[in-house]
Parts: sequence; structure tokens; C-alpha cells
Amino acid sequence: MMHSSRGRFLTIAGGALGGLALPELAEAAPKAPSEADVSKLYDAAKKEGLVTWWTAHYTQETAEAVRDAFKAKYPGIDVEFIRQTAQVIYQRLAQDLKSNVHELDVFCSTDEAHYVELKKQNALTPFLPADIDTIATQFRNLDPEGSYQLGALALVLVNYDPTKLQPAKRWPQLGDPRFKGQITLGHPAFSGYVGNWVVAMNDKYGWDYFTKIAANQPKINRSIYDTVTDIVGGERTIGAGPDSLSLEKKAAGNHIDVYYPDDETILIAAPIGVMKDAPHPNAAKLFENFFYSREYSSVLAKTYNFPLRGDVASANGARLEKIHWTRVKVDRLLTGVPEVIAKWRETFGV
Amino acid sequence: MASKLIFALALAALGLMVVLPLGWLFYTSLQVPESAHLTFANYGEAFTKAIYLGPLGNSLLLAACVATIAVAVGTPLAWLLARTDLPGRGALRALVVAAFVTPSFLGAQAWILLAAPNSGWLNKVWVALTHAEHGPLNIYSLAGAIFVMSLYNVPYTFTFVFGALELMPADMEHAASILGARSLRRTLSITLPLALPAIVAGFIMSFLESLAEFGTPAFLLIPARQLVATTQLYLFFQFPQRIELAAAYAMPLILFTALFLYLQRRLIGRRRYTMIGGKGERRRLTPLGRWRPVALAAALIPSLLGVFLPYTALLLTSLSRAWGLGPVPGNLTLYWYRWALVDNATTRAAIGHSFAYGFAAASIALVIAVAIAFAVTRRLVPAGGLLAFICMAPFVVPGIVLAIGFYSAFSHPPLLLYGTAWMLIIAFATRFLPIAYANMTNALGTLSVDLENAARTLGAGRIRSLFTITVPLLRSAMLSGWLLVFIPALRELSCAIFLFTPRTAVMTTVIFDFSDAGNFEAVSTMGIVIMAITLGIVGLSYRLLGRSALEAERA
Repeated sequence: MMHSSRGRFLTIAGGALGGLALPELAEAAPKAPSEADVSKLYDAAKKEGLVTWWTAHYTQETAEAVRDAFKAKYPGIDVEFIRQTAQVIYQRLAQDLKSNVHELDVFCSTDEAHYVELKKQNALTPFLPADIDTIATQFRNLDPEGSYQLGALALVLVNYDPTKLQPAKRWPQLGDPRFKGQITLGHPAFSGYVGNWVVAMNDKYGWDYFTKIAANQPKINRSIYDTVTDIVGGERTIGAGPDSLSLEKKAAGNHIDVYYPDDETILIAAPIGVMKDAPHPNAAKLFENFFYSREYSSVLAKTYNFPLRGDVASANGARLEKIHWTRVKVDRLLTGVPEVIAKWRETFGV
Repeated sequence: MASKLIFALALAALGLMVVLPLGWLFYTSLQVPESAHLTFANYGEAFTKAIYLGPLGNSLLLAACVATIAVAVGTPLAWLLARTDLPGRGALRALVVAAFVTPSFLGAQAWILLAAPNSGWLNKVWVALTHAEHGPLNIYSLAGAIFVMSLYNVPYTFTFVFGALELMPADMEHAASILGARSLRRTLSITLPLALPAIVAGFIMSFLESLAEFGTPAFLLIPARQLVATTQLYLFFQFPQRIELAAAYAMPLILFTALFLYLQRRLIGRRRYTMIGGKGERRRLTPLGRWRPVALAAALIPSLLGVFLPYTALLLTSLSRAWGLGPVPGNLTLYWYRWALVDNATTRAAIGHSFAYGFAAASIALVIAVAIAFAVTRRLVPAGGLLAFICMAPFVVPGIVLAIGFYSAFSHPPLLLYGTAWMLIIAFATRFLPIAYANMTNALGTLSVDLENAARTLGAGRIRSLFTITVPLLRSAMLSGWLLVFIPALRELSCAIFLFTPRTAVMTTVIFDFSDAGNFEAVSTMGIVIMAITLGIVGLSYRLLGRSALEAERA
């Protein structure tokens, strides 16, 4: 089923590319149309000169590195971006759309449900990036209709300070009294990664899981990345957090390590989508296609995020195949996130 | 004719800036989401659920504590600086001004660096010295928020009381001392009661400011798992958005503000305190004698906690490659300043926006304030009282509530301002219009009509006499009125956070955006930048105003 819809899509895309495959590039069959297509896109994008990008995928530093790599590869196109938590940028986008304001080109949330809502409003442009074939098959078809694609892969796992304690090895252990006053968490009403994690935990262990954690008096932050700062700064010693920033901080010599929980690490396939009324539609598409370039995956690897491409090695050699992970389906996120935000408010008071 | 036109424009602007958003706010609070039906259900939901009532209670508690502390500290501080021979009074006053212009959310960020329970520098020093398991301070608490907000509210009471003490004639105190009252008794039975209106005004100002404060509770109380009314309003704006509920929930903030201002009028209005204006004797300063060093130490505490320590923390963090490593040689860098001022397009644009929007807002507010104040004080229009009331109305509306009104009014046709610079400019102008208006009314009140009448007798029209006589005479009052809008607009967060879009981000919203994800260095750097600019302008304006005041005297 997946393959057939994918095949159909390629046909449509092939038709759209309209004979751009030049004969002399024929020996690199899958790449040939892509390069011609991309260079045409680049020409059009250069005229626009700018792409506006809102992202919740990674830290400010990583986003800056992505911007710099894009500008190096495609001189003449500036990247204006903001990094904020997923729910905040989604809310800003929702307010914009409601007021018929169109300032955004590329939207990178970490809550896939946002894209379902945006599709309903017909706010996204279906687009099949020429270079999407470079990523693993299982992530190529995030949306069967191609309204959005994979933009980043991230894990929510246990972060801890190895000099101070042993990590929780399974998620329910975070309810142990030994972690009282030690835990740091993000907030599902702000962070999409946290929203994914909370829905996953709720569905697996019931809401009681969070009542127990609440008894341990966790510190609640807005972004999931705050939890890493808390551990590195010595404010807290353990948390449900991201892999990337923790590994980066660990490599820099900070007291922090990651533990892939024995029950399940939560994987988030964070999407990227081009807005239908993007003020810079070609630059937007060029930018999205850039996400499947070697340069983009190299930036991700360098910043300890998972590279999207199989031919770029991750920073610590971690491979998704070797990690026991689960992913919350988009249908569940759609109802689950608002549900857990309300419950969270009751349990944690914020 | 021209005067009628200017007046009509100012009137239209008032309608747009004040009446329309407040009307929309009220209408929205009665709306069924996504429909034209009206309902009281929003009020029902907002004021029956415990999870929504709790934050309101927290807000009142926070405001009452902050106002009490601010008065308890600000009043003696003002007396020390106005009435005693305390050394270094000028420098101490300058420090109070520095605290005055510091937005308290910056203070909150600084105090996170200083007093986070485990990683705060002060706690770390304590642990190192005493080998205790924990430091004593926890800034992530209601007490922590009260502490930080009190620091930046002391200047209100201080300014009011200091002003009152300066103007208070010495006669009555003299009389008391002739009758044998000692210094303490004189102070308690004469000076303080005379300063009571100023003290009450300080308390109410701080209470209302704290009720409306958004930044500090967001920084300190979300980690502490406590909400106040403003952070609850912010959450209503987040996913899943509940604007109608937010509008209903905002109403008590307006009611409380109106109630307090009314009480203040009743309380002070009934008694007449018109001792000001007479040409009293020169008053003597109370000698502190051997208490001078103690008094000086005590007077320094608010500045130490509100200015020295926080600015040191922000400055050191802004100069660190990574704040966690501490201020060690290898860690010192100007990287973040380069990042904020050169490399980062977002921060560069935000600095530009802050200036441009502040400039435009101050200018608009001033023009309207002059036009309306002139028309009202010179009785050129009917219903002057109503106009004055409309000009002062935004004072009763907390910034965050005004923002919700603006969003309701201007995020859809026919007046679609959302997403444009005008949204923020008009919001800032409206928010601080009462300051400009009060300032211009006062200034016009001191100006005799005779000069204008003379010009008119000589054949000048109303407009000509306004521009050739009145405006030049008001120059310095206008400059200070302009600055009194421009400076708060630079540091405005609670309105801007609801109304900006990334394309119209200003310095404060960028700081707020960077304040999650642990970007302490970036936040500190932007904080230092915003304060360097603000303090620069304050310093410059003191010079300018000082000079123009001198010129006026010579003339």
C-alpha cells in the first residue's frame, strides 16, 4: 500500500518535472532529474532572494548551522528563521492564517498533528522534493499526499548526570521517590517533542504515571532543551529529554549522558512543509529539498542530531536500527496532545 | 477650521486606539467561538473552575505582597534621600532610576543565574562556604517572584514619596520641633502623614503593575508550577487557543484596576493636602549622626539586589562562551555581542524595530496628548471630561488585556493590522498615552492663557497661536512626555508578546523567545544591549531636559 502510493506520487512528480531529465546525465538515473530540477528551482529562488523558516526541530545553534550550510550551498538566498517550541510557532502560524497574514515559507514543527490541521485548512503545498530518495524508505512517505515530508528525527530518552546518580532504566522508574527534586521536564503545551512523549507515556502506562512523577516535584520548563541546561548547569540531575543536545554537551565535557530506556525510546519524525501562500515559494521548495542533501545531514550529524541520509554517519555512531523505539501515530497525536495538555494542567498546575 | 480638523483626527485616533479594542474585548468575551452567537458561558467557565480561579488568587497575593514590600522599602529610602544628610544621595538616586528602567523580567533572568536552587551562583557560594547540602535560595517560587518584582517596584513608591517630601514645606515640621517634638516623632506624626497620598499612590501603582506583570511570572513561576492570571492568559492564547475565554478571564484585571484607582481617589480626594505651592522656609536635613554608616548600608541594599548583582550576573553571562563554565579566562568572549549585533538577522532586526516602533508610538501618543489636552484644558470642545477619561482609560487596562483587545479588534478586516508594524506601534502608543496625556495636562495647566490670548488679539488663529506660543513654551514638557512613552515602549513585553509576528519582533519578544531552551548567554546579551540603550537614552534625556530647563530660566 505504501509502495503503491509512493509510486503514484513519483509519477505525478515526474509529470510535473516535464522532461527535465537530460540525456547526458542519464547514467545517474535517479539523480539526473533532481539536479536539473534543483538548478531550475535555484534560479527561481534567487529571484526571491529569501526564505522564511520557523522551526522547532532543534536548538538555535543547530538552526544557525543549517542556515549557514544552506547559504553556502545556495549563495544569493538569505534565510530568516526563528526557533521556538512547536506549539508556540504553531500558534503564531494559526493566528497569522486566521488574520490572512502570509509571512512564512517553511514550517518545521515537531508535532505532526499540526500538519493535519494545516492540510484541513488547505494551507500547505504538496511538494515532492527531488532528493527525497536519499532518506530511508520508511520515512519517505510521512504524508501519503505529500503535503509534508520528514525534516528531522529526534529521540526522547532519559538524560542524567552520571556523576550524581544512576539513570532510570525504564520510564516508570521516574516515579521512584529516589528522584524526588531531581527531575526536569519540558511542557507539552509548548514543546512538540514533550507532547509526543507525554502521549506515548499516557497511552502505555496511564495518566497515573504522571501523578507519580508530579509527587517527585519536577521542574517544568517550556522547551525540551531546557532540561539539558538544567542537568548541565547542575540545577537538576535527571530528565526526559532529547538525545542531540545532551550528546553535544557530553562531547564538550559536561556531566551529562543519555540512556535509551529499556522499555522504549520515543522517536519523533518531525515534519517539514511548504506553506501554500508562501511569499517565497521557490526558495521554500529549494530549502525543503536541501533537507535531503548531504550538507544538511552533515550539519545534523555534527550537532548530534540524527542525519536523515543513510550515507552520513551519526556523531556517536548510534543507528536507529539498533535502538528500541516507538513512534506515536499522527492520528493519536491529533486528539492526544490537547488531551494531555489539559490533564497536565490539572496534575502539574501549569 | 484647521484646529477642528486636527482635533477630529485626534478624536478618531482615540476611538481607534482605545474605544474600539476595549469594545471588541468585551464583545469577544461574550462570543461563542467561531460564531456570531453571544453567551455568558465564557464567564461561567473562567470563574467557576478551580484551575482558573487559583491563578487569580495567586495574582492578588503576589500583587499585595509586592506592593507592601515596595512601600515598606521605598518610603524610608525616599526619606533618607530627601530629608537626611546621608552621603552619596545623588548616586543613590541614580541607582534607583537604573532599577526603575530595568524591566523586571530581566531582573528575573539575572536572579535565575544568581539564585536557582542548585545552580545559582549565590547558592553555590553558600554551599562551598558552609558545606551544606543545599543553598538557602530558591528563585523558582512565589517568594522568589515577589522578591524580584519588589526590587523593581521600589522605585514607584520612592519616586512619589521623594517628590512629596521635596515639595513639602518645612513650616509644619518646624512648628512641631518648636513645640518640642523630637526627630522621630516629628517624622512619624507630621512628615509621614503628609506624605500619605504619595505612599498610597506608590502602593497602588505597584499593586497594579504586579497584577499585570507577565515576564517575571513566566520566567520564575512556570518552573515552580504556579500560574498567575497573566500566565494563564498566555496559556489561553497557546494551543488549543481560547481567545473568548481569555477575554472573559481578563475582565477582573480591569475591574480590580478601576476599583483601586477609584479607592485612591476616594481616599485622597476627600482630604485636601494642598500645602504644596506655598513658599515655605528652606528645610533642614535631619542629621543621622552615628547612624550614617548603618543608614548608608541599608540604603544600598535595594540597589545591590536590584542593580549591582543582577547586572553583574547578566554581564558575566553575556561575556561567557558557555555560562555553565563560570567566568574563567578561557571562557570570556565577545562572541555573543557579535552574534546579537552583527551575525544574527533576527536580533538585528528586533533592535531596529524596537527603536522605530518606540519612536513612532511616542510621537503618535504625544501628538494626540497635546491636541486633546489643549482642547480640554482650553475648553474648546464639549464633553471635555469624557475625552480626558478616554485618554486616561488605557491606564486602567493592564498591557496583556489591552493586547487581547487589540488582537480581537485588529486581526480581521476591515482593520487588519495584525502582522504589520502598526499593530505594535498603536498598541504601545495606546498603552502609554495616559502618561503623555497627564504630562501635557499638567504642563498646560501651568501655562497661563494670557499669552495665547495676546497672540489671538493680535490676529493669530488658534492654530497659529498653538504652534507659535504654546508648543514652544511646552518644548521641554513635550520632550519629557515623549521620552516617558519611548522608554517604556522599548522595554514593553506583556503587550508585544501577543501582538508581534516574527516579522515584527522587538527586543523584548526576542529575549522572551530565547529565554526557553536555556539560551542564557543570548538572553543576557540582549538584556545588556537593551539596558545599555535605555540607560544611554535616560542619561541623554537628563542632560537635554536639564539644559532646556536652564534655557527656560534664562529666558
